[in-house]
Amino acid sequence: MINAIDVTNLNYSYPDGTKALDGIDIKIEEGEKTVIVGPNGAGKTTLFLHLNGTLKSQGKNVSIFGRNISEMAIEERIREIGIIFQDPDDQLFMPTVYDDIAFGPLNMGLENKEVDEKVKKALSIVGLEGFEDKVPHHLSYGQKKKVAMASVLSMEPKILVIDEPTANLDPRSRKELIKLINKLNKNQGITIIMATHDVNALPQLSDRVYVLNHKIIAQGSPREIFSDSTVLKENNLEAPDVFKLFKVLGFFGYDYDTLPLSIDEAIEELTKTIETNNGHIHLHIHEHTHQNIRDFINNNDHHH
Amino acid sequence: MEYPEIDKYSSLESPIHNFDPRTKIITFTLLIFSSVFVEDIRFAALALIAAFILLIISKLPFKFIFNHVKWVSLFILPFLIIMPFTVDGDVLVNISYITVTHEGITYGFLITVRAFTAILLVFTMLGTMRFDTTIKALHMLKIPNPLVQMLMFTYRYIFVFLDEFQRMWTAMTSKGFKPGLNISSISKIGKSVGMLVVKSYERAQRVYQAMLSKGYTGNPNTIVKFNIKTRDYLITFLIISFAVVLHISPVVLLQ
Repeated sequence: MINAIDVTNLNYSYPDGTKALDGIDIKIEEGEKTVIVGPNGAGKTTLFLHLNGTLKSQGKNVSIFGRNISEMAIEERIREIGIIFQDPDDQLFMPTVYDDIAFGPLNMGLENKEVDEKVKKALSIVGLEGFEDKVPHHLSYGQKKKVAMASVLSMEPKILVIDEPTANLDPRSRKELIKLINKLNKNQGITIIMATHDVNALPQLSDRVYVLNHKIIAQGSPREIFSDSTVLKENNLEAPDVFKLFKVLGFFGYDYDTLPLSIDEAIEELTKTIETNNGHIHLHIHEHTHQNIRDFINNNDHHH
Repeated sequence: MEYPEIDKYSSLESPIHNFDPRTKIITFTLLIFSSVFVEDIRFAALALIAAFILLIISKLPFKFIFNHVKWVSLFILPFLIIMPFTVDGDVLVNISYITVTHEGITYGFLITVRAFTAILLVFTMLGTMRFDTTIKALHMLKIPNPLVQMLMFTYRYIFVFLDEFQRMWTAMTSKGFKPGLNISSISKIGKSVGMLVVKSYERAQRVYQAMLSKGYTGNPNTIVKFNIKTRDYLITFLIISFAVVLHISPVVLLQ
């Protein structure tokens, strides 16, 4: 099977000589949701800019659906892969919302009528119907973020690269955006690759996680990554709150099958435990409980 | 944040607002040139009255226009003061070495009236359509691409820039900075403006990457839906006729 994204031995240094990416290997299957985590300045954005050929590597290191990105024409590239940047003010550079969303389709050489339809459709996907004539400086941050998303969705790319989708959003907008990303992946089969520091949102957003810190440090399912405390500690990462809470419950004698990563999984886990224990959960303090908890907290606190 | 938007009242309803953007730009530009080149003070005054009438028709609030015009006046009013003393002609007043001439006063008034006419017309033109519409109209009128794109990005990012400066200013004052006219204060403002330049340079890079990611190849890509109606031709005809009459009548009437 051909991978959606195939990155092999990608290297990149900044103009001042600092190594940003060092021998990166990433394979992403079509329809997969992949999250790249890593500390600030780990090279996530730089990696993303290579995926659609905005930054060019010397060799043939990046393939999209089996084709080398540097050999593809710009109109072809934007049909395959779209990037949503972290700061919507970078992404929305045209005078009106309509112009911004129409920008990509027009570059693809579509007819005006088709462009109109794409703009309408993209706006309805992000839930901002009727915003065509608005100017970006009159929008809220959350709305800008959605318009930025629509401005990429209008090109109907098969792969969506999203840099920090939930950063700086209020809880409601954050929830809406997570839902939207999952909907795009599920209903339209769009392959998603994103960077995020939002570990609590991560389990819902990823099938596979890569830890990037100039090199690929680790890869695996969210559960595998969050269970590896050394990797987390060395890369300024943290497990989701629910995951940590159940680990603490374990010290109080709670007997879990698997550690839940999200509220939904926690509900499932609790229900199962209660049902198998005749309607009870049994917790207690034994002689090592406090010591175990102290060790666990110290181990999770990066400042000590 | 309160933005200094020139198109704040572009959503009002008036014949000037409904005037097709392209014909509006052409006719107003012609009228501006015509009024600026009028030689006779009486006809210049007539042009000023016409500009006022257009402003009244446009329903733009006077306060809004005044707020913008007051800054421009700072550059025009000095002419009214300097001209009477510097132009040669019939001497009206003579105090030791300072003389005031009749020609000087007329000339000073002529320049002031012409300038105000032009300013009123410019604000009436720009204030009655959204600025993005103005840019698109310029694009349709075959103004060179680089210019149109420069205007486009300036318009988009001036607000981002203002926000950024506002944030920086808040950060400075919340750390105890007091703006003043002393060296240390000015040097701090200078440094912050320098930081703003660095920030915008970095943003420009990110914006360019975003543009490339959406398939930018150097052409401005917009769809413009303008539609010239009979009414537009009529208004165009009226305004252009007036612009021409401004120049023909002095020749005919004042021979």
